[in-house]
Amino acid sequence: MWSPLAPLHSRLSFVLSRRRLDDEASRELESHLEMLSERYINSGMSPDDARLAARRQLGNITLVREDIYRMNSIQWLDTLMQDGRHALRLLVRNPSFATVVIATLALGVGANVAIFSVVHSVLLKPLPYAAPDEIYSAEIVIPERIELIPSVPATVQMFWEWRAASTVFSGMTALRPWEANLVGDGEPQRVGAARVSANFFEFLGVPLAIGRGFAIEEEQPGRDRVVVISDALWRSRYAADSNLVGRAIAINGESHTVVGIAPPRLLVPTGTRLHALVPFAPRVDIWRPIAPTAAELKQESWDHGVLVRLPAGASLETGTQQLTAILNERTRRAMPGANIVATMRFVPIRETYAGKIRVRLLLILAASSLLLLAACASIANLFMARVATRAHEFATRVALGAGRTRILSQTLAEAMLLAGCGGAVAAAFAIYGARLFAAFGPEEVRAMGAASPNLPLLLFGLMVTLATGLAAGVVPAWQSYRRESIQELRAAARAALGGHQAARSRAILVGIETALATILLGASGLLLHSFTKVMTTERGYEVDRILAADLSLFGRQYASASARAAFYTGVLDKIRALPGVVSAGAISNLPAVAVWEGASRTILYDTDANLQSVVLARPVAMIRGVTDGYFTSSGTSLKAGRILTGDEQTLTAVISEALARRLWPGQPLETMLGRSIRQGSHLVPLMTIVGIVADTLPGGLDREPPPVVYRPYGQWSSGPMTLVVRTAQEPRALAAAIRAEIRSMDANLPILDVRTMKEIVSATVAERRFQMQLTSLFGLVALLLGVVGVYGVVSYNVACRTRDIGLRIALGAASGDVARWVFSQGMGPVVIGVAAGLVGTIATAVSARSLLFGITPIDPLSLGGVALVLLLTSSVACYLPARRAAALDPITALRTE
Amino acid sequence: MAKGKAPSRVDVLQGTLDLMVLKTLESLGPLHGYGIARRIEQISDALLKLNEGTVYASLMRLQQEGRISSSWGTSENNRKAKFYAITIRGRRQLTAETENWERIAAVMSRLLRTVEHV
Repeated sequence: MWSPLAPLHSRLSFVLSRRRLDDEASRELESHLEMLSERYINSGMSPDDARLAARRQLGNITLVREDIYRMNSIQWLDTLMQDGRHALRLLVRNPSFATVVIATLALGVGANVAIFSVVHSVLLKPLPYAAPDEIYSAEIVIPERIELIPSVPATVQMFWEWRAASTVFSGMTALRPWEANLVGDGEPQRVGAARVSANFFEFLGVPLAIGRGFAIEEEQPGRDRVVVISDALWRSRYAADSNLVGRAIAINGESHTVVGIAPPRLLVPTGTRLHALVPFAPRVDIWRPIAPTAAELKQESWDHGVLVRLPAGASLETGTQQLTAILNERTRRAMPGANIVATMRFVPIRETYAGKIRVRLLLILAASSLLLLAACASIANLFMARVATRAHEFATRVALGAGRTRILSQTLAEAMLLAGCGGAVAAAFAIYGARLFAAFGPEEVRAMGAASPNLPLLLFGLMVTLATGLAAGVVPAWQSYRRESIQELRAAARAALGGHQAARSRAILVGIETALATILLGASGLLLHSFTKVMTTERGYEVDRILAADLSLFGRQYASASARAAFYTGVLDKIRALPGVVSAGAISNLPAVAVWEGASRTILYDTDANLQSVVLARPVAMIRGVTDGYFTSSGTSLKAGRILTGDEQTLTAVISEALARRLWPGQPLETMLGRSIRQGSHLVPLMTIVGIVADTLPGGLDREPPPVVYRPYGQWSSGPMTLVVRTAQEPRALAAAIRAEIRSMDANLPILDVRTMKEIVSATVAERRFQMQLTSLFGLVALLLGVVGVYGVVSYNVACRTRDIGLRIALGAASGDVARWVFSQGMGPVVIGVAAGLVGTIATAVSARSLLFGITPIDPLSLGGVALVLLLTSSVACYLPARRAAALDPITALRTE
Repeated sequence: MAKGKAPSRVDVLQGTLDLMVLKTLESLGPLHGYGIARRIEQISDALLKLNEGTVYASLMRLQQEGRISSSWGTSENNRKAKFYAITIRGRRQLTAETENWERIAAVMSRLLRTVEHV
């Protein structure tokens, strides 16, 4: 009928100034009253009568003011603010309750968001390539060799044939590890590098930041002295000089021209991620075209990683068949008598980055989810107890006329306030936690870059917190509000406090919390036990008081084997002369980190006349060059015969036990001394076995020890060697002196970190350790939640049933009986929870067996220990209230309402 | 006031009072609450003998609807008082409502007279 309401913004201005308007209205009404009174006085009434008449005429001033005030208010906003303030007051009065709930929520939700953001960036986020799902790593599978190695990479010749003839794949690129020693523009530095086919950067679909990639002509020796360097190296060594492109830099003693700078966040396979036999350095900073010389081509080295692109719609089957056919054709041509029939497998590129860590990450995610559940159970328990305490208060308020929805909205405001605070702390926790994870976590995670939780994830976390707050806070309260009359309310209040149903719900929650805590603690117990086993297992070399330094000889002065031998002899002599050095030696590949890397050859008996006919039946062994002093320095024990000296007159070798057992299964080791073998082909000279040493295991203990042939350095002189120095005291103290001695031999040699063997081995188990520490952290938090929960519930039960207890004592129950009764009531759900939790732990352990080392999933020590810890802590938590109950004075107890 | 609801007796009274206040301000120019109340008393004895305070509620409503504006000033007897004045929008709506009322009144009188005849 009348015109519509004023627009919102003018309404808002009224709301904001309603107090002033109320003040003015009050003044207006007062003065109106006065003027009316004056009028009546002027017409002859007495002042009192006049005032009365005026009042009657004006009507109820308060009602008018209220009316005006209400016109200037937004009802629902007022209610909301009032509820909020009320909730805040209540929580401030109960700080412990608020703190516990907020902390629990923050831990539970925060941990989950942090870990989920890590999982997202490692397992889910698309890789930074063009059409990453099209990229696969191509690997060759030789069925007869599967038990030794599941697959092998390709040779460069294989790659060329594939590239020329493939019609299914839309692109192909090859890459293999390389090492670059930089001199000039700073300290001598060794950087990890890779030799790649010309189309490498185009294949990945990653445009270079400056300059260009490689041209196909540069894949020839002589035209391949061009490099692309990484953004990080460009900034650290060349100060982001924009004129670097086009300039020449010295790599490995030769001049190379920089043609391009890679973009900052280029992701390339590092370490052995692409394939165990294609080992890149932990970082790759320089790329150079693949351009094998004639000599390199004569040796077929199976150490090239090959990536292919399968376009949408193309069939992987067809592609596999095509490449396999080419592969087998070539193999037949090269080794006709060998009868090798290989197959191929294609691994999606995502697997190379995430494959090894997937199980671990998902387990951590599962653990944090369990923690969240435990947190929810804990909060639900807390809220239930709290609601029950206030049931009387609610009953009274309902009786006084408060609407039920109003009370509910107040509980809601409380829960939301807590959840909101919890969510805010959880967000901070999540961001910080993700950063910690990225900094200290497993290498795969660090390689994928920063894993900061993005906004959608944080919002999701906030929603989860609010939902948890809602569920835990409001649902238990809802039941109280479905009553009609005050009597029902009072009865319900009493029931809520001490009734069977409520007590059972609380007991169930305690059981659930305990079970979850058991699973988490059980998992961490198993991981801990496993870890100690890993650290104490015999590896075949010693770990204490040993220093290791990587060296790599490059440059023309070390081109000849004798020059290299002279260098190492010289530097080792100098190091041995240092005080505090017990012995020193060197090996081409340190077992702790590179047991499966480096040169490998097929080993033939002296009777083998033809390589091809036996190649698949003979073992493949890793070939290592060792100087004298290596075996004594590293502590590898001798099983038979003697170790190599620096002065071998004939071709000799020392083999590992694994090789000995492969070559002559079942025979005693001493009988093998003096026998001869060949490495690589039947055309090379024989070498005599003079000793057999113990097997060496890789630091992480995650693979079998390989067969190894150790050659004296004079007979197998590789450029890169690792010096191994045994010291009398703390090894680190000698690092500087050793560095100085090396530098005195050749100042241009880059020296990588001189590290102690303990540090090296520790780094190889870093992943395992991290997982153990994280799971233990979760376990401890869950334990804390559980124990606090048990204590709270039992104390609460005692408080509720004070009258019952008083009655029992009054009727003659001994205090011991009472204590026992309370105790058993409290421990009942705990015991069940522990039992259920142990079952859960065993189930988890069985499914994640690969993560356990040296122990079974039903490891009695870990599981027994965990059960003991839980039962003990819970017993203490039950005992304290039980003792309180036993000490109750029956008369006071009976008088309690 | 609620839109679309069948006007109850209170609403009609409210609406009528709003109209009277508006008309008063249009005829007499800016006036304070007391003055408006006196004028309305003059015109409609029966309605407002008992509850002059409701004028102020009406004035607040009209302000919220943008039909009148207010400012503090001094009254005849040197008292500080809040003066109200009609706005352009108020004038427009007043005209519209007046026409409305007259139409209703005409229809009602025709209806009642017709019934009488039968």
